[in-house]
Amino acid sequence: MSENKFEAISALLDDNNVEQSLLNEVKDDDKLGDTWSRYHLIGDIMRGDSADFINTELANDIAVAIAAEPTVLAPVSRPTITQRAKAKVIQLVKPVGQFAIAASAAGLMVLGVQQANVSDEGQIVPAQVWQPLPIGGIADPVSYNYSTQKNVPNQKQAYIEHQQRLQALLSDHNMQIKLQSDVTPESDDGIPDPLSENHE
Amino acid sequence: MNFFKPFLLLALFSTPAFSQDETKLESEPVAATQQQSQAEEQAVTAVETVKAPTALQWLQRLTHSMRTLNFDTSFVVVRNNRAEPYRWLHGISNEQELELITLLNGPRKEAIRLGDTVSYFESDKSPYSVRSNSIRAPIPAALFGDIEKLQATYNFIGVGKSRILGRPAQLVRLESKDKQRFGYWLWLDIESGLLLKVAVISRAGELLEQIQFTHLMITEQSNDLLQQLTTAALPEPLSGNTMEVELPWQVNWLPAGFELIKSSKRNIQKVDAEVETLMFNDGLVDVSVYVLASDEAPRKATVNQTGATVLLSTLRDGYEITVVGKIPAQTANSIAESISFN
Repeated sequence: MSENKFEAISALLDDNNVEQSLLNEVKDDDKLGDTWSRYHLIGDIMRGDSADFINTELANDIAVAIAAEPTVLAPVSRPTITQRAKAKVIQLVKPVGQFAIAASAAGLMVLGVQQANVSDEGQIVPAQVWQPLPIGGIADPVSYNYSTQKNVPNQKQAYIEHQQRLQALLSDHNMQIKLQSDVTPESDDGIPDPLSENHE
Repeated sequence: MNFFKPFLLLALFSTPAFSQDETKLESEPVAATQQQSQAEEQAVTAVETVKAPTALQWLQRLTHSMRTLNFDTSFVVVRNNRAEPYRWLHGISNEQELELITLLNGPRKEAIRLGDTVSYFESDKSPYSVRSNSIRAPIPAALFGDIEKLQATYNFIGVGKSRILGRPAQLVRLESKDKQRFGYWLWLDIESGLLLKVAVISRAGELLEQIQFTHLMITEQSNDLLQQLTTAALPEPLSGNTMEVELPWQVNWLPAGFELIKSSKRNIQKVDAEVETLMFNDGLVDVSVYVLASDEAPRKATVNQTGATVLLSTLRDGYEITVVGKIPAQTANSIAESISFN
């Protein structure tokens, strides 16, 4: 790649002295194309309107991987629970459209409980325990996910089912509260008027 | 879209710094001493009492106001980091109470009350009606009913005045007489007696859940919207729900004041086996106990909590026991441990 082609691109950016052959070359050559967009990026940053250039691809990849593997961040399951944990949990039973979120949240709920058990310190703040990225700066989250996927034990699945069962029972509880009928003969004797009492 | 998912979850799971907020609230009445005398004057004219009314009188006035006034109000229920906005209309027409509570965000969820019949419309269920003289959620039904009954298990404490929703408010605390329940703090409008804010507070003073009113309008006439409800076709009320069943297990300990509401065996969606359940109520709080046969290994108690609602689950003797309700985890655990199987 010759220096004068980069210079030509630079010149192309600076003024409108367009040569058709150079444009074609930029279009066909990936490396020149990269240079072209990089120069534009530099220009945009210097002008202060670079917001559109934040590259979301890496973050997207991580997000997709996390969404696909909600349980991989959990530590190896421990059969004995040494310490009673309190996990703050959001009600998950929500419309079908949000099912994916609910499913991954169920996995995280499990994680919250388990991580809390791992720490031996008295203060348990499970809501903050969850971290979106693997601890220890693992460079390639995707391969990390795939290597651990094989180790996900059935127990994890059981935990998730358990959490879903809990959600079902919670919504049943809320339903039963509404189903209570309080219209009985005793309760028909009217509400006392405190205003009249106060006049005494 | 996927990019945002982890952050959404992060937002859902982080705990708000409610405790700071609370200390502010506590100190507010002290700071506003000059306003207090003014507010007190208003209180006297509003209630026409000889001296400051007692906490019980405030609560009786609340019940009375919620039953007799025409009002249009909005409130937000805050649990963990989630806020659910509602609109609540109440009116009297032809000596009948009309009421509508509707969830404003997400899928439709509405409750309509015409006198003694409450109809629930929810997106995930077919509509149903219940014979009841109060809408059960999210405002605690106990506040509409026999407040005096709660004195058996709660102390009523009139605390002080503060400013809520831009109005002078009286704070009344319902504090459990034992350590087995959460406290309820109610901020009542000094002018009308209506609710302005409700907070559920743990024994440690932590704010678990709150209902903050965001708008209140009291009118002479009931809202036209309510008037239209009287002509709406509503589902027939369900027949009595007292399906009494003998269950092969007992709950041997409950905090004082809890009474059995119902016992039943049911199939619940997403739960494979038949579930046996008992429901208890202490006048303010509902607690459900679910027992489900299981072949899994015994498991110590785990606790999940959303707002004030605790979900405790444990597995022993071949049964999975789940206790649900707005009670401290310790209480739920004691209930679960007291269960004996025949």
